[in-house]
Amino acid sequence: MSVDPQDVARVASLAHISLSADEAGDLTGELNRILEHVDGLRGLELAELSDLTPQIRTPLPSTRSADREERDRLTVTLEDFAPDVRDGFFVVPPPPGLEGEGSK
Amino acid sequence: MSAFQIAECVRDGETPLGPARSALVAISEAESGPEALNAFVSLNPESALTGASSGLLAGVPVAIKDNLATTDLPTTCGSKILDGHVSPFEATVVRRLREAGGVIVGKTNLDEFAMGSSTENSAFGPTLNPHDRDRVPGGSSGGSAAAVAAGYTPIALGSDTGGSVRQPASFCGVVGIKPTYGRVSRYGLVAFASSLDQVGTFGRTVRDASLALEVISGHDPRDSTSVQREVPDFSGAGKRGVAGLRIGVPDEYLPAALDPGVRRLIDEALERLVDRGAVVSRVSLPHTNYAIPTYYVLAPAEASSNLARYDGARFGVRGEGRDIGDMYRATRDAFGREVKRRIMLGTYVLSAGYYHEYYGTAQRARGLIAQDFEAVFKDVDVLFTPTAPTPAFNLGENTDDPVAMYLSDVFTVTANLAGIPGMSVPIGELGGLPVGGQFLAPWWEEQTMIAAAGGLEASFAEEST
Repeated sequence: MSVDPQDVARVASLAHISLSADEAGDLTGELNRILEHVDGLRGLELAELSDLTPQIRTPLPSTRSADREERDRLTVTLEDFAPDVRDGFFVVPPPPGLEGEGSK
Repeated sequence: MSAFQIAECVRDGETPLGPARSALVAISEAESGPEALNAFVSLNPESALTGASSGLLAGVPVAIKDNLATTDLPTTCGSKILDGHVSPFEATVVRRLREAGGVIVGKTNLDEFAMGSSTENSAFGPTLNPHDRDRVPGGSSGGSAAAVAAGYTPIALGSDTGGSVRQPASFCGVVGIKPTYGRVSRYGLVAFASSLDQVGTFGRTVRDASLALEVISGHDPRDSTSVQREVPDFSGAGKRGVAGLRIGVPDEYLPAALDPGVRRLIDEALERLVDRGAVVSRVSLPHTNYAIPTYYVLAPAEASSNLARYDGARFGVRGEGRDIGDMYRATRDAFGREVKRRIMLGTYVLSAGYYHEYYGTAQRARGLIAQDFEAVFKDVDVLFTPTAPTPAFNLGENTDDPVAMYLSDVFTVTANLAGIPGMSVPIGELGGLPVGGQFLAPWWEEQTMIAAAGGLEASFAEEST
């Protein structure tokens, strides 16, 4: 298994880490060297795993949600909640009796 | 003087402030001169004003790794992200040291968040090996190991997630103990990989390192992983001797590629143990080859989760940003290169599509490694191995090759994966550099490995007298 620069950018986004282009390039190579070593786990025989206790042998249940890269809810601006905004001000209905030009 | 001797003198009436004051003067002078080791990140001159005249560690100066929370000194974890951070509470192990009369003279340098094997990954610069200043002291508890080896303090605390007490102990020529997972409270230890982290001890002698372990051991309701078990007489266990002790030597820890000098010293140490009545046999731990790949999936996975809390909102420094996402990223830019690498690796192996392939497989491999130990300890009382494949390497030698750096822990990570205790004890020198041998014992049998290490130490002491 190996990663490419797009994978590294996606993982950096999930981890809230910003990487320069140089850092991303270096990290792609370093992670691939580490993953190449980690791939040694593939040598584990399934038969060996069957000797394990039931707690260890049973595949871990997936309780995980999908990876999310969407915008953080706290980054939503107040303007996004307002029905109308003009020149940085919330536009509200005028008090009774003050309807006129320029009001809404 | 040893910690044991200092405490005895203080209990007999010597001023409890003397040893700490002397230690602080010695550290300040040495660490501001041309021969500085950069072993400490902060010192506590106020500590010389307090001291207890009773307790197992009465008046004994102690150095603490800077990932253990203290209320009177900052706790930085060697990271810019916690620059100046002072914990509002104290680690249980620190409190126990103080209650036993110990005097905390300073906090020691470490690889950032304990991630490393050389103490080169610190925001405060690398620590140097007291035996050769061009070489690393090991890591991640390199500051504590160097402080004890240089004679600044007789004992020190470190943390061991994959060998971070035992490997620097080997590189610096001191004794380092990692207890059974659950023996010592981790309350106040900044989390790196919670299923592997343990607080450990350093000393110049087996007795001192064991004495410190005895003081910090025991159940703590503030750490749900600490276990209710009686604390044995660790400090006396080193005198038991090794007559009749069954010592296993695993084939997998003596590979053909092992430094021939290290191999020779291991063989000589075994001869010493046999001469004192131990029975040595060859054994096998067949899944040892999977230990490093397993560790470098599980530890970064846990680290990526544990270090998610450093976002600028709660601890340490805060970066500037247009919105909160920007602030998170700007704050986390303060992490060093190795920490970013491990967070990235951990996030990747936990991400959708790779979780079962990496994390699930590594968890099962961990079970196999633990089973190997369970099986072999039916036939032997302790295991003896090299602590590290080589003596201390040169500064900068492995910084551009993470896999080479990780392989420095090849003989130590298995104890963390299985949760068993292990300790490193000096067994000789190669070209003026110390080499350590590692004893591993079954769960909760620290006293057996301390007895074995004490026997070996005694054989060296007899030779030198």
